[in-house]
Amino acid sequence: MEITFEHVTHSYNPNSPTANLGLDDVSFKIQDKKFTAIVGQTGSGKSTLVRHINALLKPTSGTITVGDRVITPETNNKNLKPLRKQVGMVFQFPESQLFEDTVEKDIMFGPMNFGASADDARESAHKMIKLVGLDESLLEQSPFDLSGGQMRRVAIAGVLASDPETIILDEPTAGLDPVGRQEIMDLFKSLQQDGKTIILITHNMDDVANYAEEMAVIHRGKLIAQGIPQEVFNNQELLKEDLLTLPKSAAFAKELTEKGFSFEKLPITINELGTEIEQQLNGD
Amino acid sequence: MEKIISIKDLNYTYPEAKRSAIKNLSLDIYKNEWLSIVGKNGSGKSTLTKLIDGLIEADSGTIEVAGQIINEENIWEARTKIGIIFQNPDHQFVGATVEDDVAFGLENQGMPREEMVKAVDEALILVKMADFKERDPQSLSGGQKQRVAIAGVLATKPQIVIMDESTSMLDPDGRKTVLNLVQQLRSQQDLTIISITHDIEETELSQRIVVLNDGQIVSDGKPEEIYDLGADLQKFGLEEPFTSELVSTLRDTIKLPDGYLNEEELKEQLWKLHSNM
Amino acid sequence: MGRYLPGDSLVYRLDPRGKFLLTFYFVGIVFLANNVASYAFLLAFVIFAVFLSKINFGFFLKGLKPVFWLILFTVALQLLFTPSANPLWHWGIFTFSKEGLVIAGYIFIRFILIIFISTLLTLTTTPIEISDSIESILKPLKKIKFPVTQVALMLSIALRFVPLLVDETTKIMDAQRARGVDFGEGGLIKRIKSFVPILIPLFVSSFSIAYDLAIAMESRGYKDGEGRSKYRVLSWDRRDNIMVIFMAAVTGILLFLRSY
Ligand SMILES: Nc1ncnc2c1ncn2[C@@H]1O[C@H](COP(=O)(O)OP(=O)(O)OP(=O)(O)O)[C@@H](O)[C@H]1O
Ligand SMILES: Nc1ncnc2c1ncn2[C@@H]1O[C@H](COP(=O)(O)OP(=O)(O)OP(=O)(O)O)[C@@H](O)[C@H]1O
Ligand SMILES: [Mg+2]
Ligand SMILES: [Mg+2]
Repeated sequence: MEITFEHVTHSYNPNSPTANLGLDDVSFKIQDKKFTAIVGQTGSGKSTLVRHINALLKPTSGTITVGDRVITPETNNKNLKPLRKQVGMVFQFPESQLFEDTVEKDIMFGPMNFGASADDARESAHKMIKLVGLDESLLEQSPFDLSGGQMRRVAIAGVLASDPETIILDEPTAGLDPVGRQEIMDLFKSLQQDGKTIILITHNMDDVANYAEEMAVIHRGKLIAQGIPQEVFNNQELLKEDLLTLPKSAAFAKELTEKGFSFEKLPITINELGTEIEQQLNGD
Repeated sequence: MEKIISIKDLNYTYPEAKRSAIKNLSLDIYKNEWLSIVGKNGSGKSTLTKLIDGLIEADSGTIEVAGQIINEENIWEARTKIGIIFQNPDHQFVGATVEDDVAFGLENQGMPREEMVKAVDEALILVKMADFKERDPQSLSGGQKQRVAIAGVLATKPQIVIMDESTSMLDPDGRKTVLNLVQQLRSQQDLTIISITHDIEETELSQRIVVLNDGQIVSDGKPEEIYDLGADLQKFGLEEPFTSELVSTLRDTIKLPDGYLNEEELKEQLWKLHSNM
Repeated sequence: MGRYLPGDSLVYRLDPRGKFLLTFYFVGIVFLANNVASYAFLLAFVIFAVFLSKINFGFFLKGLKPVFWLILFTVALQLLFTPSANPLWHWGIFTFSKEGLVIAGYIFIRFILIIFISTLLTLTTTPIEISDSIESILKPLKKIKFPVTQVALMLSIALRFVPLLVDETTKIMDAQRARGVDFGEGGLIKRIKSFVPILIPLFVSSFSIAYDLAIAMESRGYKDGEGRSKYRVLSWDRRDNIMVIFMAAVTGILLFLRSY
């Protein structure tokens, strides 16, 4: 499904002295079946943005279209189930997502709600827990008795279990060990290759460079750039204003330019960088 | 070097858990050092910090903080020396507003009010959250919450700061700011830093890295020594440092010296090769 | 009642001890009102106080929401069951009369007065200020070995816990919504039913929050409340004196209007 934001503004606590704009007139499109990354500084409005896609938040003004579903300020809380079946979401803090008394029940919660039988749900719980790299023996434990990274994986498993078409991931790899992070990112990539739309919020620019096909940059509630990562990371204006951090490879390449190397476009992945350096050194 | 924390033969198993979270662990931490603790998810890092602060009680073994073996009587004194920033800030907030929360630790120390008002302001300015002073901490974004939690701990001027993945929700700039800040305080106030992280870059600032696996220390050394393990690091859930990875992609066609190179060294090497062309 | 709303106005700046006691006092004198004039006067006072607080009126209406059914029920009871010599309408056990209407009206205003004034207190006073005030008000009891500090501590944790639980409820609801639960759909029964699955997780997670919070408090050196200094100082100054005098005047006028 294509997701479209049209002039979406969201104000927290409107009409109160503490009112503040979470989103400010955001318009953009998230393409179907693509891997889109959303980046921006702390407090820029990324979580606020994605919470509109499954209507956990309603816009103060503007509209969001998800497939054939339109969300407006007037949208009420009825009949949102089909939308939420289509759009799964992994929250920023896994603790805030887990609520059942065992890991198994927690993963089964989504599928059961969307009408799966208990047996099917249980089966998918067992499948998912392995998929996110945890041991099946954890299924009987309380999700609150897990380490930070284990909770994170359970939270991801719980969302994948209901097989949504669009998956929103709010910093899903924060707290994962690097090997786990890579496995999980590869998992997301393969889900996308199987035809799912992936929306990833992250502070890790290397993940953006390595996995995303599209990226959007949010700053103080506004969308300030959108495009393919290769282009956006070469956007001089953003870099000059310090609104964007470069992936490691690009940052390293940039420093190499002071050492006699020259790059037409900053390479953003380690492979691109390696190839460039080899070419320039072996001089062809 | 003066020891500030000395852990001997520590064991801990969570009630009703099948496996122990900490196994026979011994570790000395020295004054003013920056120690990074790394390791896979579930390797026991957070458990170890809770043990050091006496928040959970070891099954066996001893922990000495600033020369005293901690026990129920002196744990409160030990805690005034240790500040912990927990992994998830969400349930950490005690105050109803950001400033009240930062003040909480100071109130517990009985700091006079005039000093406290100054200390709270300073801490909030350090983490760039002064504008959010009157907000309810629960209404902040993920990264903002973490900054407030950091301010709350730094304000109390502890001798030892334990950071349990405290920068994991910060944007790269914010992360750099916090790390530099901690580094600066370390030299100014003779702080000892224990930081738990999954980010290999973050360990570069530290003097020593301890790798935890399955509740045990499997490696302990200077960053260069640990980075030199290269692809072996993956066994312990770690990633190769950026430069090693780049070097290994380059080695096939380009001649580079053996061993770990940091960014500066690698740049120099490449520069030399480039100018010899 | 409502949750503390950051802001600044005269009402915010009053000493919380004074606010706390005067709120109770006001709730007490509401029961002295007995005729149209006295009720109208108290209503005018409350509206004036709301105006002074500079808080959007909507927040006060929100305070009514949780007790809406209670109010409706009580008012309906008065309307239909007040015995009367000359009812306007009579059907089976129900009596509808002018007296009933008046009494129902009074009760309704009484509810509004009490709810608005306590909402005013909770909107403009942080939980910490409230527990600090209680500690300070109870201080004399220390002489008879009453554990004032500990009671205040328990209270402040309880008060801190309430908003955390409210947040937790929202979070659990959001997490469940995101995984397909529709709250607020269907009839009343269905709605109530959909809240049941929140209760157990809320119970479980309130334990885990309590544990985390206790750990966080301990690690930051909180022991038993003794020897703590205070970031928020309570200071009683002229405007608080004025408030007390003003309240005395309100009482005087009320007493006068009563026999009017
Ligand atoms: N419940 C809330 N009430 C009031 N303000 C809020 C609330 N949630 C977020 N905000 C504010 O809205 C802004 C955007 O927050 P949001 O959580 O969307 O940021 P973010 O980009 O996800 O940041 P992070 O990377 O730190 O998670 C922030 O300034 C934040 O303080
Ligand atoms: N409250 C608890 N009750 C029972 N077991 C627990 C509890 N907390 C953690 N554990 C278990 O103890 C082990 C160590 O957990 P710990 O939280 O110390 O890991 P960690 O190294 O901090 O991991 P992470 O990087 O994921 O945060 C894990 O296997 C975990 O499942
Ligand atoms: Mg966020
Ligand atoms: Mg941990």
